[in-house]
Amino acid sequence: MTTYNPKTVTDQSGSHDPVKVKVRHLTKAYDELLVLNDISFDIRKGELLCIVGPTGCGKTTFLNCLTGFAPLTSGEILIDNEPGNLFRHNIGFVFQEPSTIPWLKVWDNVAFGLKIKKLPPPEVISRVEKMLDTVGLRRFVDYYPRELSASLEQRVALAREFAVKPDLLLMDEPYGQMDIKLRYYLEDEVRRIQMEEGTTVAFVTHNIEEAVYLADRILVLSQKPSTINEEVAIDLPRPRRFDAPEFVAIRNHVTEAIKWW
Amino acid sequence: MNSPKSHPLLLGALSLSVFFMSWIILTKAVGTKILPDPFQVIGEIIRLFKTPLSGRTLLEHVLFSLRRVLIAYGLAIVSGLPLGLMMGWSSLCRKIIGPIFEIFRPIPPIAWIPVAILWLGVAEGSKIYICYVGAFIILALNSFTGTRYVEPILINCARVLGANRKRLFLGVAVPAALPSIFAGLQNGMSMAWMCVLAAELVGGREGIGFIIIQGMNLDRPDMILAGMVVIGLLGALMAIVLRILEKVLCPWRRELV
Repeated sequence: MTTYNPKTVTDQSGSHDPVKVKVRHLTKAYDELLVLNDISFDIRKGELLCIVGPTGCGKTTFLNCLTGFAPLTSGEILIDNEPGNLFRHNIGFVFQEPSTIPWLKVWDNVAFGLKIKKLPPPEVISRVEKMLDTVGLRRFVDYYPRELSASLEQRVALAREFAVKPDLLLMDEPYGQMDIKLRYYLEDEVRRIQMEEGTTVAFVTHNIEEAVYLADRILVLSQKPSTINEEVAIDLPRPRRFDAPEFVAIRNHVTEAIKWW
Repeated sequence: MNSPKSHPLLLGALSLSVFFMSWIILTKAVGTKILPDPFQVIGEIIRLFKTPLSGRTLLEHVLFSLRRVLIAYGLAIVSGLPLGLMMGWSSLCRKIIGPIFEIFRPIPPIAWIPVAILWLGVAEGSKIYICYVGAFIILALNSFTGTRYVEPILINCARVLGANRKRLFLGVAVPAALPSIFAGLQNGMSMAWMCVLAAELVGGREGIGFIIIQGMNLDRPDMILAGMVVIGLLGALMAIVLRILEKVLCPWRRELV
């Protein structure tokens, strides 16, 4: 069996890639409950960073801090070297829960962000049409979200976020509702869109296989109060194969790193 | 055998005929002086259509009541809806207006009748005012809860995509509140309708409430029941109109099957 010796990244300044998101001494507590405990790391430009960790370790909380939904208790998060600003920074967020807009048909759901950003109508149309094909929703343009299955609904949300071509895409267990075939397909799509657009992606998941398949780097969080257990750089060639010995070795390594029992 | 579900009309007809049969039997038991049978009531409605009561036919009385309700309802919409939306959306508004609203909210509209008459006289003003109070509270309350309890994820989703506050309000909060606003429009209408009768029972020479009071004064139970039936029919008709309007304006709503 192949064993894996990780290049554990400890010194962020050692990287030469420009930094997209800089997290310094991030601490987040809800009243007495300490969720994130003095976390520091970078997300580099154009990188796909997977964040894994035990359930309830604060993965979602981190994303909420990043967007400003949850105020930080202490520390700071900088996007492009300035405090995050949802009007200036082009951010996409795929939520774990269904987040489609109930009163808009599929087409208008996908166009939702483009209209907020006031793109010219021809551009809106071309991007929506392209996205509908990418996520396979062409047949459903005239449906309301409630008429769709959970998996289709999530594809609507994905298309909506992809359509704005965010330069920072946050994904919170986006594929939890989907069957394995679709999951594989959309994992490849995320990767493809990311490569094409140079998007920086922070991808939260509890599925280690998914993380190893997608990530340039994996951030392993500990149980609450969370700190970073380990950072694992993954330089396997793509497309990656789930059954390749190196893949399995890294997967096992990350699994060990996550274990708290 | 067919399931009863496949015959909603049949089932409805059955329940109605049982209702009318019981009514007729009850009439036989207590006598028409106390409880007129359905045919007498229908006869009375037709008579009131043709023969003026206090100088006005039934249709004119209905129009009087309807006019009061619609004026009050319109005023309640233009004042209650924006107030509720503002209270739901802005915590500042909620903190300023909320306490006052909480004091006035539990006061039943009928409790306003004496002061309304004192301030506005027995003419149209007081009647419209009472209907207005009833509908206003309901409309404000429903648009308030509608905007206050919008799914946070929808707001967050729009915020990440760069929506400003105006956009969040008009593009997310208001459409999300529409179903609740429609519930308010329906309940507000029935409340205004109830209130106009209460107001007309107290004073006035016209309106359906007046017909009912006249029936009591003249010891004519058939006239009272005729007035009540007309109220029921008109109320149901307005509810149907609003429900159709809701279906057109909120087509995404999940139907309760």
